[in-house]
Formats: sequence, C-alpha cells, structure tokens
Amino acid sequence: MAETKVIMPQMGESIFEGTITKWLKKKGERVERDEPLFEISTDKIDTEIPAPAAGVLQDILVKEGQTVQINTVVAVIGDGSTKPAAEGAKEPTQPEPPKEVKGPAPVAGPTAEAEKTSPEPAARSRPSPSEEEIRSSPLVRRIAKEHNIDLSALAGKGTGIDGRITKTDILSYIEQPGKAAPAAPRKPEEPARGPKAPPVPPTPAPMKFTGDVERVPLTAMRKAIAEHMVMSRKTSAHVTTFFEVDCSRILKAKEKQQAEFERSSARLTVTPFFVQAAANALKRFPVVNSSLEGDTIVYKRPINIGIAVNLEWGLIVPVIKNADEKNLFGLAKALNELGDRARNKKLTPDDVKDGTFTITNPGQYGGLIGTPIINQPQVAIMGMGGIKKRAVVIDDAIAIRPIIVLSLSFDHRVIDGATADQFMADVQKQLENWTV
Amino acid sequence: MKSNTLTRDAAPVSLPPEKTVLDMLYYMKLTRELESRIERKLYRQGKIVGGVYVGRGQEAIAVGSCIDTRPDDIVCPSHRDMGAYLIRGMSLRTILAQYMARKTGATRGKDGNMHMGDLSKGLIAFVSMLGDNVPVATGIGLSFKMRGQDRAALCFFGDGATSRGDWHEGINMASVFKVPVVFICNNNQYAYSTPLERQMAVENVADRAEAYGMPGEIVDGNDILAVWDAATRAIRRARSGGGPTLIECKTFRMTGHSAHDDAGYVPPELFEFWEERDPISRFERFLTQRGFIDKSGIGELQQRINHEIDEAIQIAEKDPFPEPEDCLKDVYFESPTEQ
Amino acid sequence: MSLTTYVEAIRQGIWEEMEKDDRVFVLGEDVGIYGGAFKVTAGMLERFGEWRVIDTPISESGIVGAAIGAALMGMRPVAEMQFADFISCAFDQITNFAAKCRYRWGAGVPIVVRGPSGGGVHGGPFHSQNPEMYFVHTPGLKVVCPSTAYDAKGLIKSAIRDPDPVIYFEHKFLYRRVKEDLPSDDFVVPIGKAAIRRNGSDISVITYGAMVYIALDAAKELEKEGIDLEVLDLRSLLPFDKEAVLESVKKTNKVILLHEDTQIGGFAGELAAIISEEAFEYLDGPIRRITAPNTPVPYSPPLEEFFLPKISDVVRVARELYAY
Repeated sequence: MAETKVIMPQMGESIFEGTITKWLKKKGERVERDEPLFEISTDKIDTEIPAPAAGVLQDILVKEGQTVQINTVVAVIGDGSTKPAAEGAKEPTQPEPPKEVKGPAPVAGPTAEAEKTSPEPAARSRPSPSEEEIRSSPLVRRIAKEHNIDLSALAGKGTGIDGRITKTDILSYIEQPGKAAPAAPRKPEEPARGPKAPPVPPTPAPMKFTGDVERVPLTAMRKAIAEHMVMSRKTSAHVTTFFEVDCSRILKAKEKQQAEFERSSARLTVTPFFVQAAANALKRFPVVNSSLEGDTIVYKRPINIGIAVNLEWGLIVPVIKNADEKNLFGLAKALNELGDRARNKKLTPDDVKDGTFTITNPGQYGGLIGTPIINQPQVAIMGMGGIKKRAVVIDDAIAIRPIIVLSLSFDHRVIDGATADQFMADVQKQLENWTV
Repeated sequence: MKSNTLTRDAAPVSLPPEKTVLDMLYYMKLTRELESRIERKLYRQGKIVGGVYVGRGQEAIAVGSCIDTRPDDIVCPSHRDMGAYLIRGMSLRTILAQYMARKTGATRGKDGNMHMGDLSKGLIAFVSMLGDNVPVATGIGLSFKMRGQDRAALCFFGDGATSRGDWHEGINMASVFKVPVVFICNNNQYAYSTPLERQMAVENVADRAEAYGMPGEIVDGNDILAVWDAATRAIRRARSGGGPTLIECKTFRMTGHSAHDDAGYVPPELFEFWEERDPISRFERFLTQRGFIDKSGIGELQQRINHEIDEAIQIAEKDPFPEPEDCLKDVYFESPTEQ
Repeated sequence: MSLTTYVEAIRQGIWEEMEKDDRVFVLGEDVGIYGGAFKVTAGMLERFGEWRVIDTPISESGIVGAAIGAALMGMRPVAEMQFADFISCAFDQITNFAAKCRYRWGAGVPIVVRGPSGGGVHGGPFHSQNPEMYFVHTPGLKVVCPSTAYDAKGLIKSAIRDPDPVIYFEHKFLYRRVKEDLPSDDFVVPIGKAAIRRNGSDISVITYGAMVYIALDAAKELEKEGIDLEVLDLRSLLPFDKEAVLESVKKTNKVILLHEDTQIGGFAGELAAIISEEAFEYLDGPIRRITAPNTPVPYSPPLEEFFLPKISDVVRVARELYAY
C-alpha cells in the first residue's frame, strides 16, 4: 500500500465541516499509527486527530485555519517512496456533500428548477393537435392504440361527461365492421379472388352535424334503456299484430265497481281488466309466456305481468307476480302499489324482476296504436292504444262504441302469426264479453 | 450538586473467588481500552461514523453485576454497559465491526454503535428511546415465572431514562407481578447536559423503589466489589421468587455525552474529584494491596488487552460493508424457502 | 347450526390457539376476571389460569413492552388494547422496539396487539378511532382488519402464528351485528390476501372493515339502476393484496376507494398512487375516494353521522363515476 488518505472526520451527526487549527507533524516527517497528527475545531468540539496509518506525512492539502467539509482529504501519508506534491498545494478535493448535512442547503438552484418543471397538464403534452379536443381516458387511449384507431374518428360521439369517449364508446366502435384495423400486416395473397376484384369502397365517414348544439350526457337509466331497446330488436324477430276491441262492457263494469273499490283504497282504472284478460289468455297460450334460450323454449309456470310505467326520469316495468291468481280487486290494488312505489323511487329489485309478459300503454297520450319493443327475455308485449268513441257496424247498423286498438308485438322465432292472433282473439273475446 | 457521596473504599461483605476477581479486572480494563480506541482513535480517524457513546469511569457497574450471571440469564444493557457485552461473550471483532458499520457487525450494518443484541448470548438490543427496555425486561421476567424457571434478568439504564413513562410503567408492572428482574441504574449524574437536579426532584433514584413496592439499594458504582455484592444478592432474591430489586449505582460520566461533546457544561472540579475515584485504579490498588496481582502483572494484562484489540481492529477494518440491497432484507421473517 | 358472532369468533380463535399451544397467553386491562371489556376473553381465566390470562395495570406501554420481552423469550403473547385508541400509548414500544428487532439484530417478536377500532357507537374521539395507518406506515409490522366472523377467527389465528408483530384491528361496530355459520375445523385466513365480497362489472369498490357492509348495501341500491358494483374486501393492510386490487381495476376500469379512516394519510391515498402507477392504462375514469373528513371523530349523533361514510355517499359517487 503506497498511500493513505487522511480525512476530516465527522465529529457528530449534525456536523458537516471542521477547521484545521494545528498540524502536529510537518511534511516529510515520520508518523506512527494512532499518533496525534493534527488538531481540529468544530461547532461541537475541539479535538486532536490521530494518524490512521504509519508512514511519512507526504502531503498536507489543507492549511491551518482552513475550514473544509467532512470527508475531505486533508493529507496523504505515504510509505516514503513517492515524491511529495508541489508547493502551493492544489485545491483540496471537495467530495460530494454527505447525506446527513443539516446545515444550509448546499444546492438551492437545481431543486428550485425541478419544482418549476413540475408536470404540465396532460393535454399539452399530447402530440396530435386533434387529440387535444377529444377527451377520453388512459384506458380508451390504450384500446385505441391497440386497434390502430385514431380517436378523432370518434370526435363528437363520446357519451361520457362533456362528450368524453368512454370505454363503451370505443368498444362499440370497434365492433362495427371495418373500423378496427388489425395491427397485423396484410397478407400478400389477397388479390387471388379473381382477376379483377372490384375495389372495396372506403367506409364513409359518419355524417356530423355542424350547427350549434347542446350536449347532454345520458343518465344511467336512459343509457340502460337505449342499450336494451337496440339489443331487443337485434335479438327477437319482431312482428306486430293489431286488434280492435269494443270496451263498452268493461267501461260499464268499471263504472259500477269504481266506488266500491275506492272505499277499499283501490283506484280502478281500465288497466286491471286488460291485465286479467291477458293473464287468462296466457294460461291458454303458454308459449306466449315463454323465453327462448339458445335452442330451447323455456315455458314459465308463473304468470308475472309487468306494467310499463312512464316516469319523468325514464321507463321502469314493475311486475305483478302471479297475476292469474289475482282477481280484479287484487290486480287494481297491486297496480296502485307498484305505481306509487315506482313514482317514489321505492321499487325493490324484486319488484322489477322475473316478469314473463309485459303490457304497455302507448295510447295514454291519445295515440291510436303502437308497435312496442319486446321486454327481453320475454317473447311478447301488448300495447294499449287510446280508447276512442267511434262509429262501428254492428248487425249492419252503425253504432257508437268506445274502441281500443290493442297491439301485440311478438317474437316470430317462437310464436307464429296464427298463435299470436289466436291469443289476441282470446283477449278480445274476454273483454267484449265481460261480466261483473 | 447532588449525590457526590459514597467514595470510600468500603470493604465488601465477602469476596468473590480469586478467578472472579481477576476476571473483573480483566473485563474492566478491556472495556476501558476498547472504548478508548473507539472514541479517541477510530472515531477521530473517520473509521467510525455517526455517534459514539462510552462508559468511561463506569466500567465497574456492568462488569460487577454481569460477572456471575448464568448463561441462561438475560441481560438488557444500555449504551454505557460495554462490559456486559464482553462478559456475555460478544467478540471484540463483532463489536468493532459493528462500530465500523460492517456486514460482520452485530447488526450487520442495520444499526450503529451500542445498539447490539444477540439472543444466543442472552443480550437484548436496546432502542434509543431509553427506558423502553424496562417493560421488555419485565416481560422477560414474566416469562420465567410463567414457565417456572429460576432464570434472572438484568436491566440497565441511566438516570435520565428514569424520567420516561415507560420506565415507570415497567417498574410498576415488575413489582405488581414480582418478576425476577434486577433493575440497575447507572446514575452518572448527567444526561447529556442535564444535571441530576434538573432530572428529578428526589435525592436518589433508589428512593423511587419504595413508591413502587420493590426493594431499593444504593451502592458506590465505582467500587466493583460493592456492585458485585449488591447485584449478587439481588439476583439470588430474584431466582428464589423474591421479586425485583432496584439498585442505584452512584458514579460519574467522565466524558461528554458522546464523542463529539466536550462536556463544557460540567464543572471541571467534578471531573477532578471523580478521577480520583476511578474504578479501575481503585481496584488495582485494592488487588495489589491484597496480593492478587502486582504491577508487572497489571502491565502484562494491559499488553495482552492491547494485543487482543489490535488484532480485532485489524480484522474488522478489512471486513466488507453490507451490500446496498441489504437495506431491504430482514424486515420480516423470511422462511429459508423464500430466500 | 347456530351462527357465530364476529366477537365470539375472535374469542374462539384465541381460545383454540391457547388450547393447542401453551406458549400463547393473553394480557391486558380487565381481560381476566372481567373477561374483557367486550367479553372477548370471557371464560379464559377459569380455563387457562392466571398465568395465561393476565390482568395488568393501566400501562399500554408496559403491556406491549412486556409482551415483547416474553416474545423474545419464545412465548406468543396476545396483548389487548381495551380500545384501539389507546394503542397510541404504546406507540414507541410497537414502532421502535417490536417493529425493528428483526431488522436490527435478527430477533423475531411474534406478538399480537389487538383491540376494537372504529366508530358508529357514539364513542366520541377516543373510543372510535381507526389508527391503522400509523402502523401501516411502520415497516416490520403487519396490520389486519377483518370484516366477517370467518375472517375474524381465521386472521386472529394467523396473527398468533405469525413470527412477526401483528396489529389486529377488530371493528367494534361489527362485534355483534355480523354473524355467520363457521366451520368446525382449524381454518386460518392468510395475512395479505383480499376477498371479493361481490362480483361486479362496472365499478370496483375497494374497502375494509365495517365499510364492506356499506359498500354491499350501496351495491343493492345501485343494482336497480343497472350499475353493477364489485366489492373487494382488503382484509389485510400490511401486507396488502396488490394483485387482487389491480385485477379488479383492470376488470371494471373504474374504482372507488372507501374507508372509515380519515382522508389525509388514509390507505386510499396509498392505493390511488399504486393504481395510478401500475394500472394507469386501465382507468376509464378518475380514481375516487370516500373517507371520513379530516377531523377527530365527533360525538353528537348528527356530527358522527356526517363524519362516517354512508351508503348514500357510495351511491352518489358511483353514479358520478359511472356516468363519466
């Protein structure tokens, strides 16, 4: 070993510098290990420092009276063979500031700069100018990237807040044919189809309205309805059949029983009559009370009739369970309760599940007929038009009767037209022959 | 200045066997020389970083009380009880490597200076929150009782530690459960710069013993035989089910609080007074007077000690530092299969 | 089959461990003759004797310190803090002594420090706290917070058998309100594993303790609107099941972090950072937190109700996040 560096020691955890007050040996002098070599002064203590090794004091790098940071090399002890450094000693090597330095912060500059360059808002760091206007999310951007989609293709079509493109948006977009360009390279054998395959027309860009707009995001319920309607249309083979029904007898019955029902706190409308007629008919035509699961028709034993209720915030279908076991009064009461609960947002999950058939009332605002969409996974839905007095022909004479047009949308995968019409004829017959 | 008493060379009740007596001298001198090298050489040479705390002038306390402990006894030292570590079998090399932050040190570089422990030697590592070891010692004693063992535990602390809540809770519980623990206060009359009268309003730490329902005894901490006598009786009491004892050893801190404290706040005459009562010189006088050893024998002993320490330093100096990633190790139990 | 309450499950767990391992013992205030302030240790003194069910002075620091000493000697102490709030009196022994022994000198400290935490019982500032984060912040410790009776029993056993110090927070609100049929075999719940309480596809609610039930109740409400929550019960905070957390986030892409603890320094902040660091590209919306506000736990019922996260908070935030 040729040389030993002598360092300024750290005399205490909060000490970061020391002053050489006296050299006890001269340059070139022999020194033994542990022999006192120099004296120092620090904030906490003045003390003498012993030599760390034996040898010759080859270089003194820090003069008396000089203050240096701890761990600075202040001298070098050699084995006597190397020449001492030139006079007018060079600057003592300043080591990196130690981690425990608690005195004045040695470098204020870089820290302050680091603070200034804190991350800028994400929008500015995006390269593509068009992307700045398009709000999405990390997930959406990743999905877009994976499918080689430029998000500007969805500009203005986001369904999230403020038109944000959501996960559902991009996934739906991808599902459309031709949208997602796979990242894999094109295969070279493509033109083998024919000598001159007609050029595939480019997918037209979706039309965009360029006028003034107001964006209102869908509520959760609206979104659920929207998704359901599209899904139902895609699932069932919808056909709608229409039947005119003479309501004179049921209206008379209603008039007669109304007061009595009211006394027992059951408001009586025309709806319970239709529910009862439908329930009876479903008993006789069980296929209308079924579902299709894959290749299997699932006939349901209970007859649970849902009544679509229109609320200001959306559509909900509470269900009267076992409607066939209830009489008119029971149905009226059930309808009242469900209607109230629906309006007060007090429906339980139980109230809206397990329906087997649905009745809706598109005629309540005066419309003639409707073509309702089936409430999946059911296979039929009955729509009630408005009851209007009309001139009809009875026994070759003209009479005035209150007429309703009932519509039945049914799933032609499971129910044929004949069955649907027979079902509706049954309903019609019950209603037109109603006895109290 | 309180408690400047108990400096006579009081004759002990009985003498330990000759071997023990000579061992006592050896360990006190070993402690002194080791700590001197650590504080006055290695630390100032920058070979030890951080803090250094020595028990100069207090060597009799740890040595006198630990010298006759059984291998299955437990010792909970504090920072000025180097003698305890040496007597219980921690090697010089391990201690020096510990101070120099090497991988071969008692804590493998995880902690510094006196924060050492080794369950195989019955040594419990203390924490810097002094006084915390008192409830722990109580729990150790409690486990001996629960298992019907006649083991004893020794618990060391200074005057300052007795101000802490944990000290009081631990002493109280020790007394309530009558645990076999000997609580030894190294009253060196200064806690850093805080003199005794600023630390407590009672005259003696041992006065508190009565308040907690355990026997208390005051001894001259610089008279190794007095310490030995009191400790031996207390250990015997503990083993036989007599419960805990609080022994207060009166002594003086002959250095600053740490190696970077020059104790300028201590009146110099106090240093002078206590220098004359140095435990090692006293004992050497006693031994030479009684013919246990002579001057050349003491000289030889010192040489032997110097040599042992030189050797250990040489080895420890070359020991490796821990790997940086060792920082992440041993936070939790790692089963051999996980390593 | 009778149902076992959460508190009884803890008692059974400790009891069974004491039967099979005579190194296990209990110490704390009022645990012996009184059977514990919440009766967790009822009957134990009679069965195991005064050297294994130890009534101590009021000395949390002493209790934990003694537990540490006994553990160093090979015992397996279960130290009770009568209310988890009082654990602060033993803070030093736990964080500086117990947590660091293995790291510093290779000595394991297999203690369990357990106590009832949480509010909703009109307990006020010193009987309702959720102090878990002081200890989650301390490497060397383990921290668990069971929410079901099954987990309470399984985790107390794991804690007792663990070679490292475990802080076990039992939620006092759940003590008698939560019950289930427990298997009769010797089952344990591993520390560091979460449990899915409800599978869902729209939003992940990640939570622990009593808030698990708030999340489940909110899920029932949101179901009606077509919002499908997934509820992940962390069960352990240190170590915690990072894999389960990330898996859930990657599945639903929207996350709510829910805890009864206060906001600043609460576990939600830690999870939010981890999710952002490791699942950023799976997020379809901002990470939302629902926590108590940054105040001590108040006493007066309207104040405490304001303080504690409610079902309506979860419903509201879920709707917002769903619509984002």
